[in-house]
Parts: sequence; C-alpha cells; structure tokens
Amino acid sequence: MLRAARPIGPLDRPGARLRRELVQVLGQRKLFQKPIPGLMHALIFWGFVVLLPTIAEAAVAIVDPRARLPLLGDAPWFALAVDLFATGVVVGVAIALWIRKVQRPDRFRGSHLREADLILAWILGIVGTLLAWNATRIALGLAPHESSMPVSGALARLAGSAAEVPAAERALVWSHLLLVLGFLAYLPGSKHLHIITAAPNVLLSKTRPSGALQPLRIDLDAPEDEIRFGAGVATDLSRSQILDLFTCTECGRCQEVCPAWATGKPLSPKLLIMDLRDHVAAQAPAIGGGGDAGTVELQPLVPAAVEDEVVWDCVTCGACVQECPVDIEHVDTIVDLRRYLVMAESRFPPEAAPMLRGIEGPSENPWGQPAAERTAWAEGLEVRVLAPGDPPPEWLYWVGCAGAFDERARATTRSVARLLTASGVDWAILGPRERCTGDPARRLGHEFLFQNLAERNVETLGQAGVTKVVASCAHCFNTLANEYPDYGARLEVVHHTELLARLIAEGRLRPSRGAVGAVTYHDACYLGRHNGRYEAPREVLGTVATRTAEMPRSRERSFCCGAGGARMWMEEGGTARINDTRLAEAAATGADVVAVACPYCLVMLDDAARARGSGAPRVADVAVLLEEATRPA
Amino acid sequence: MASVWVVAPVDRSGALHPASLELCTKARSLTEDVAVVAVGPGAAEAAGPLGDHGARRVWVWDDTAAHDHPGSAAAVVADLVAEHRPSLLLLPMTYDMRDVAGRLQARLGSTLMSNATDLLDLDRARTEIFGGTKIVDVALEGPEPRIVLVRPRSFEAEPVGGTAEVVECSSDLPELARAVRVSGRRAEAAAAAKLEDARVVIAGGRGLGGPEGFALLEELAGAIGTAAVGASRAAVDAGWVPYSLQIGQTGKTVKPDVYLAVGISGALQHVVGMKGAKRIVAINKDAEAPIMRMADLGVVGDLFEIVPRLTEEIRRRTAS
Amino acid sequence: MDVVVFAKYVPTPEGTPELGPDHLLVRDGGDGALDPGDTYGLELGLRLVEAHGGEVTVVSMGPAGAIAAVQRALAMGAHRGVLVTDPALRGADALATARVLAACLRRRPADLVLAGIESTDGYTGTVPVTVAELLGIPSVTAVRAVEVVDGALRVERQTEEGADEVACPLPALLTVTAGATEPRFPSLKGIMGAKQKPVETLALADLGIDVEDVRPTQRVVAVADAPPPAGGEIVDAEVGIARIADLLVEAKVL
Repeated sequence: MLRAARPIGPLDRPGARLRRELVQVLGQRKLFQKPIPGLMHALIFWGFVVLLPTIAEAAVAIVDPRARLPLLGDAPWFALAVDLFATGVVVGVAIALWIRKVQRPDRFRGSHLREADLILAWILGIVGTLLAWNATRIALGLAPHESSMPVSGALARLAGSAAEVPAAERALVWSHLLLVLGFLAYLPGSKHLHIITAAPNVLLSKTRPSGALQPLRIDLDAPEDEIRFGAGVATDLSRSQILDLFTCTECGRCQEVCPAWATGKPLSPKLLIMDLRDHVAAQAPAIGGGGDAGTVELQPLVPAAVEDEVVWDCVTCGACVQECPVDIEHVDTIVDLRRYLVMAESRFPPEAAPMLRGIEGPSENPWGQPAAERTAWAEGLEVRVLAPGDPPPEWLYWVGCAGAFDERARATTRSVARLLTASGVDWAILGPRERCTGDPARRLGHEFLFQNLAERNVETLGQAGVTKVVASCAHCFNTLANEYPDYGARLEVVHHTELLARLIAEGRLRPSRGAVGAVTYHDACYLGRHNGRYEAPREVLGTVATRTAEMPRSRERSFCCGAGGARMWMEEGGTARINDTRLAEAAATGADVVAVACPYCLVMLDDAARARGSGAPRVADVAVLLEEATRPA
Repeated sequence: MASVWVVAPVDRSGALHPASLELCTKARSLTEDVAVVAVGPGAAEAAGPLGDHGARRVWVWDDTAAHDHPGSAAAVVADLVAEHRPSLLLLPMTYDMRDVAGRLQARLGSTLMSNATDLLDLDRARTEIFGGTKIVDVALEGPEPRIVLVRPRSFEAEPVGGTAEVVECSSDLPELARAVRVSGRRAEAAAAAKLEDARVVIAGGRGLGGPEGFALLEELAGAIGTAAVGASRAAVDAGWVPYSLQIGQTGKTVKPDVYLAVGISGALQHVVGMKGAKRIVAINKDAEAPIMRMADLGVVGDLFEIVPRLTEEIRRRTAS
Repeated sequence: MDVVVFAKYVPTPEGTPELGPDHLLVRDGGDGALDPGDTYGLELGLRLVEAHGGEVTVVSMGPAGAIAAVQRALAMGAHRGVLVTDPALRGADALATARVLAACLRRRPADLVLAGIESTDGYTGTVPVTVAELLGIPSVTAVRAVEVVDGALRVERQTEEGADEVACPLPALLTVTAGATEPRFPSLKGIMGAKQKPVETLALADLGIDVEDVRPTQRVVAVADAPPPAGGEIVDAEVGIARIADLLVEAKVL
C-alpha cells in the first residue's frame, strides 16, 4: 500500500527531527498536554519499553525454567524495574478504564470502544501474567532477586502455597508468552498499530511551521498526467499521509478541540482520519497492496470516504494537529482533498466562487474591489505609497485586502499607520501594487491561483527592494513569512504586534497604562498556534490595559474565530456558530474589550458581538487599543 | 412632415404603459405628426388618453396575441411601418418592447438605440453611460425609421386635450410570430420579484431585530410597487429571513436604481453585493456606520419610526 | 443538441472605462473579460448538453483580445470557439453585430442559441432577438429556466408581473437572466483543456459579409460629464422621510 502511495522527498533537518522524536515519543510531550491521560499513557508506554526484554526472558524460561538472560537476568536493578514498571502499566490500565468507563469524555464518540476495551484487557493480561509468573518464580525459588521484586513478592505471599505449584509457573509463563505473541499478531489490523507507526510518523511529520502548506508547483505546460491536483483517490496520498491514517489511535483529542465539531458540524478530524484509513484499507487491492488486484476500482476519496461537507467545514486552525500525540497532519490532508475538488472538479461551496473570481480577476482581492481603492483608508494621513523605482523604506507595511477594504479593519490599518509614523519608523506601502497574498485561494484548495499570486507578489516585493515587511493580518503574515520563501522571497516578516511591542520596548511609543480597561486577548490561529507568536500582543496589551484576563482556551489551545481556511467566504451550518461560541467565551472573562490581532478575527468576533447586542464586549485590534492609549492627552 | 410613432403597450390588465403618454408628449415636441400603435387587449380604450397626449392617429391592435406570443407585436408594427414610413419610432424600454424593437430592427434594417434618456431631434438622441457619469449624444443614421428605446419616466406626460383618429388593425400574424406561446402565467407579488431584477431593493440588517422588522420592509416594498426585499448576512444568519434574500459577497449581487439599506451597518461582505446600485439610501441609528459613508442619502434615526412613516408618505404620494 | 452561446468580451467592471478621441469605448489594451452576464446562458447550455448530448460552441465578436472571453468559456466547458474579429467591425452597432452573429449561425446552424439578457457594458439588450429574427427562428427573452420536452422547449420567462411558462419549438434562441443558474468556476483541468479546443478566428470576408452591411448607423457626436451627484448627505428622521420619497421620485421608480 505504501509502495503505491506518493513517495516523499529526502528528510530535511535531521537534527530537529531527532530532537522531536526524543521529546515527543520518549518524552511523551504531546500526550502530557492532557495530564491524566498523559500519565496513563506514559505509564503504559514506558512500562512496555522497559518490559521488552521480559519477552525474551519468558521465551527462554519456556525452554528451561532456570535459564536466565545474559546481563539483565542477573541484574537486581532490572528485576526491580520490571516489577515497578509492570505495576505502572497496571495502574495505567486502571486509569484508562476509569477514563473510559467513569469519566467517558465525548472525544471517544465514534471511536472503536469495544476494541479499546479488548486491547486494555489484553495489556492487563500480559502484565498480569508477568507479575503472577514472577510471583510463582519467587515462591518456587526460581527468581534470583526476590528482594528486588516487592510487588511480585507481595503477590507470592498473598497466594501462599498456591504459588508454590510448579504447574502454575508453567501455565503462567506459557499464557504470558501466548498473550504477547497473540497481541503482536492482532496488532497490524488494529487501531493499536500506533506502537509501531507512531515513532516513524513523528519522524516524518513536517518540520516547516504548521501554517506552511506544501507547494504543489503546478506547471500548466507540463503533460497533463504529470500534474498533481491534490488528493483525488487513495494513491494520490503521500506515504506520510498514509502512515498518518494507520497511526491514529482514535483517542479523539483532535475531535475535542475542533471548532467545527464543537459547533455541531459533521467534521471531526478523528472521524476524517478513521474514514480515510478504512477507505484506504478497503482499496488496498486496487492500490496493489496485496489481495486480488483488479477487482476493486479506485474510488474518489470524496465522497466515497469523506462527505463533501466535511472537507469544507475545516477552518484550518490546526488545533487538531497541535493536540495529536502522534503528529497526524489533518489540515494538510484536508487541503489536499480540497485541492483536488477545486482544481480538478471545480467542486466547492458555490458562495465561495465570488472570492475566487475576485482574487483571479483584475482587482486581485477577494472582494473584487478596485485596486485603486487600496489606499482609500489613508485619506487624510501622510502615507508613502511606493512607486516603481522609489528607494525602499526600512519597513514595508503589507496592509492586506481586509485592512485595505473592510471598514472595520481599516480602523486597525489607520492605527498602525499613525503609530508607525509617531514612532519615527521609515515605512511605506505598495498601495495599488499590493495584491491578495493568495491565502484564501490556497486554503480553499486553489493552489494554482495561489502560486500565481505568490510568484507575482514576490516579484513585486523583489523589484521594490524590500527586505523587511510588517503585516497586520495574521493570514498575510503567515503566507509572507512561511510560504513565500518557497517562491523565492527572502524577507524578514513580522506581525504588527511584534513591531509595536519592539517600539514600546525601545521607548519610541509611550502608552499610558489603564487607558482601555479590562482586556482579554484572542489568539489568532495563524499568529499563535501556527507561528508561536503569543507574547508580543500580550506585551502591548499589558502596557495599556487596567487588567488582562485569559480565556480558558488561549495561546496554543486558542479557539478559532471561524474565518480561517477560507471559511470567511462560506456560509456556516451546524448547530452553533464558531464566532458566537468564541465571543461567549471571551465575554465570560468579564473583560470590557476583546483584543484581536487579525482582521478576520475582528470581523468575525465583532459580528458576534453585534449579534449579542448591548452588553457585549467591544472587539478591537491591539493596534487600535495601543493608539488610544498613546494619543497625546 | 416627418412622422414620429410611438409603440404603446397595454398590459394584461388592460392598462396602458404610462411611458406611452410620456413618449407622446416628447414626440409632439419633435413633430406635429404623432401616431401611436397601441398593442394588447384593451388597446381600443387606450386611444382616448393617447389622443389627449397628442397622438393624431392611433392604430389599435386589440388582441390577446400580443401577450400570448411575446414580441409578436413586431410583425404588426412592421407591416404598418412598411406602409406609412414614419421617420422615428419610439418605444418605452421594457422587457417586451425591447423584444419588439429588436425584431423590428431585423425586419427594417434600421438603426436601434437603447437606453435613451432624451430625444434631441428626429435623428439625434441622448443617453447616459458609465453609471450615469457621462452624457452622450448620438446621431442616428441609416434608413428610416430610426428606432429608439427610451427609459420610462424620462419625460413628464402632459395632456394637450386632443382626440385621435382610431384605426383598427387586424393583422394575421406570420407563423414565426406565433411559434412561441405562453402556456401559463404566474403573478408574483412585487415583494417577491426577483431581487436581481428589482428596480428598488430594500434591504434589512441586524438593526431590524427580528422577522417582525422585515414585515415593515415588506409593507414599504408593497407601497413602492417595484421594490424587492433583501437582507444582509447578519439577518440571514440570525434566521429572520431565508438565504435566498441574502445580498453580498456570499449572496446575491444587485444593481437597482435605488438601494435602501435599513438597519445595515455596511460590512464589506454586504457592500460588495450592492455597490453597483445607482442611488444608495441608508436608514441607521448610527451616523458613524460605514454604510453612511457610501450613502447618497443617510437618515439617522429609529427605523421603527421612520419606515412606517415613509410607507405612509409614499402611499400618500402615489395616491395623488 | 448543438448549442451556440454568445460571449462578449467587455472591459472589466473594476477597471475605469474610457472613451477614445473618436468617442468610442476603448476596447483593446487594458483589462477585459468574458461578460459575466453571458456566463448564465453558458452554464445553462453546458447543463443541457450534459443532459441531452451535443456540443456547446461559443461565438464572440470583438477585438483580437476577445479571444480571452472565448478561452474563458472554453475553460468553463464549451467545446469549441469562434471569434469574429475585423478592423471594419470597430464601433459596430447592434444591427452590425446581429448580422455578424447571424452569419456565424448560418455557417454552422445550432439547435439552440443562448445569450445573456444584455451586456454589462452597453446593456442594449436587443442583439439576440435581432439575430433570431434575421435567422427566422423563434426567440424567448428573460429566461429563468429551460426544459427540453418532446423535442421542444418549455421555458420560464421573467415578466414585469411575475413569470410566464412558455412553449417554444426548436431551433430557437433564448436570452438568460442573471441568477438563472450558478455559473461554474472553471477547474484547472478545464483551463488546461481549453488550450487544446478548436477555435476559429474569422474575418468579415470569411462570413461573406460586405463592409457596407456593418457600417455603424450610430455616431457619438458629443460627450459631456453628467452633473456630479449631490454627494452623501446625512439628515435626521424629520427631513429624511420626505427626502427619501423625493429621491424615489427622482429615480423614477414611484
């Protein structure tokens, strides 16, 4: 199956990958994002790592009850470790059963619960027989380090004379080994396969920032069968994507944090991966992965494996990827599905078509507004518009389409402009020469349109001689910083909150504290989670707010506003709206102001605030709040 | 003397299209020899007002075929034109008359100008282009009669108190004109007229507070007659009106003569769907709302007070 | 069923339209695109051939650059294209345009001809019916929906009062209203495939049309700026109600 899939290129950054492997697999870092389930898993995982040699020990003991492993067999510390870690596994299984049977979190909805029970019972059997076997060995005097095995020793004492029956020792070692071998045989077809696939999957997951999609590099002059449009059928998936599918343990951490699922939409990242996995497995004969090839035809992934709506529900916020303990990259796979639908079949929610037409059209922005109006916000301000041939400024302010055309976002743009000027920064804008970065087209799956814009924007920036760019849209920021390097850009890109924080630190802006009341900050997905920028906006707010409050979901656990992944341009179904959900969370902090750092968040949360009516907190960009606190009294 | 003709459609209820009288008035300023071809069942009764507005002679094609076979009047008019050779043929710019004019052009091989807003002479007409920013005068050349489609309400209709000679025409329609046949009709309330085609769009937003607010807009639309009701995404999201009424980036795009935004703040999502409107009027309690910046006329106040009063004012004006 | 769809290359609405020194719209150079108003008919035509078989041929008349409009229609799914371009057609009026389009159809007859209800630049709205009349085929305008039943058309026609159900034999010409269908966004496969589709470029001589027959019969003799709109004005409720009513009267909708 893997052989038929798309090969992946050579691995970059081996050092970083190795470090991640250590932290994430051995250190169980992402599992500990949930402390109790993390502890549960770590006990079982570390237990099995330590207990691996006991399989050999048992195998040897089958032949000769008195035989011992070289080195380890004589080491009292190993006996102690086995005893303790095996007990740890038992505790781990107990926690797991408590989570599953008592706590019953919703994240397991749709997972194979009976299979999980079976696996837990199996693990308990394996470890239980191991401990019991060791108890009989102690009782029969076969164990060399009785004093190093407190738990088994206690068991032996508990069993009394029952443990002294040699036949019991034989039965236990046999059943232990059979359980182990049976488990290994059961593994490949089970959701527990992750104990083999997780490590390579973590190794293979991308080292790029999570917000950077892999380019397709479409050349229209190439022969048609060489052009890839994304993932249409199982064989279009890359080996790493296939490995993702078979690594999923159905733990549901992704489902729990998914904004689409949380608001009653059919998308669950977990169910998506499970459906793709089952589909790929069922298609194995057609793919050439064994079985009777030719009897199964390759079915389209959408809708055979995944419904259309599921593919379009994703806001690409990356919360699922962030949570996944085994580094499954749901978002990139969803975008790959979208790419095929959009570019090969032109199949997508029809209400998004005007956005594509706008970006594709002569005005080159999602709203189809005249390029000449890109500078309308600057009326009455002194703003240098970079004409071809002009000397480059130190900082190019990339305004973005929302910042240029949306009345609410223009307020942010004007604040940024006035703050930059007030602090004496040498800055300019491209004005009508700026185009959409292509982000909405790319997230919708129109890679070709994106590629086209990326190439031309990079050319414009290059010709302008610009080296440093400040962007006030999180999406522009992500695209310019993480995705344009694939198209030759060599730029230092910062978000406006970073530059403003720097200017405050340098004393070039002197805001007065307490000017804007209690503030809670909403992390934009493409600034925070996808790019790790959490501090700068908080630093700025710290200088202006009387009080700052954090929402329960913040920083890398932030909850999307609902506009990412080109959802800004689609109608929202489901039982609740993502923006309303998030605004309610913000309002619950008691803050007067919800500070945002991205025009998409601004529009979505402000819409939600207006819907909520009087009493709703004000929604404003960090820059607007800073400017209010910086105005001369 | 040069003769100017007007084609005057009579609708299914027997009412003469008001623009016919406007065109008669204009025609009289170009020549004394004004004649009308009135088409449609009830055309005979229309001869009175047409004469009163300056028509010397009215050809009456009082036949349901005018509606049963859309555009078939072209055959009748063409025959009359061939016989009497007028210099200029004026038609009101309506769906049906546009069809008649287009067919006449094919038969007569003469020039046809659409969207005229004024006639300067027998061979010269005026129009507006680029969204009404430029006024263009056009010389009409080639064989007579020149055909001009004139926007309704380009002129005031002025009665002069004459009586027209009425001539009945019974014309056997050629097969081609009878090929297309109306087999069923569906009247749609003005308010349900397709948003994209309505001359006036009244759109409601979050400020309406609920479906009851939209009832006020429906009433206003009914009073105006040619208006359709639309909504912003916010109102649709709130579930007050169906998605089919949504105007904006992810809804419909409208370009009416008048766009009345009621309780709409003017989010870009909405603006891109209505920026092509010729005139924008906004009613909003917030003078700082973005929609006020782009409105030709912004009225600040409580829409629940303004809209009913406006409905009344319009009823009063249309009644008189 | 063979369908011909008329496609006009129009200056993009986003650009600033300009008149040349001869008072004619500058149609070459600058940005242009397939008239969005034509895409509804195209979509309807594509759906009809998808259901009933046949091909969609897109026919355009315009400057050489109008090939972009033809390409776009091909990318959306039309099967072949025809572009009539000739220096003598510069400034062509409605009658000349109709004669050229009719000649294209005589050269390659179709079962059904589809067009937009009016162009978004000139909005004359009469060319298609003139073509039908020149060809001697029936036509229905302002069509919202079409069905093919027993070899004839059953269409829904938008009227000022509502909608008519209209029966129309084939061959026929229909003009399609905006919003009748949702025109498809061309897929990348479609854009690539468009380059391989046959496109004929014809001059007047190829159609056997005499230059005299397309000589313009309308001439712009004066252009003036319209008085600028009064500009935005903010008033209170008391003044506002009467002002809105006045504005409705001025706009000739009351």
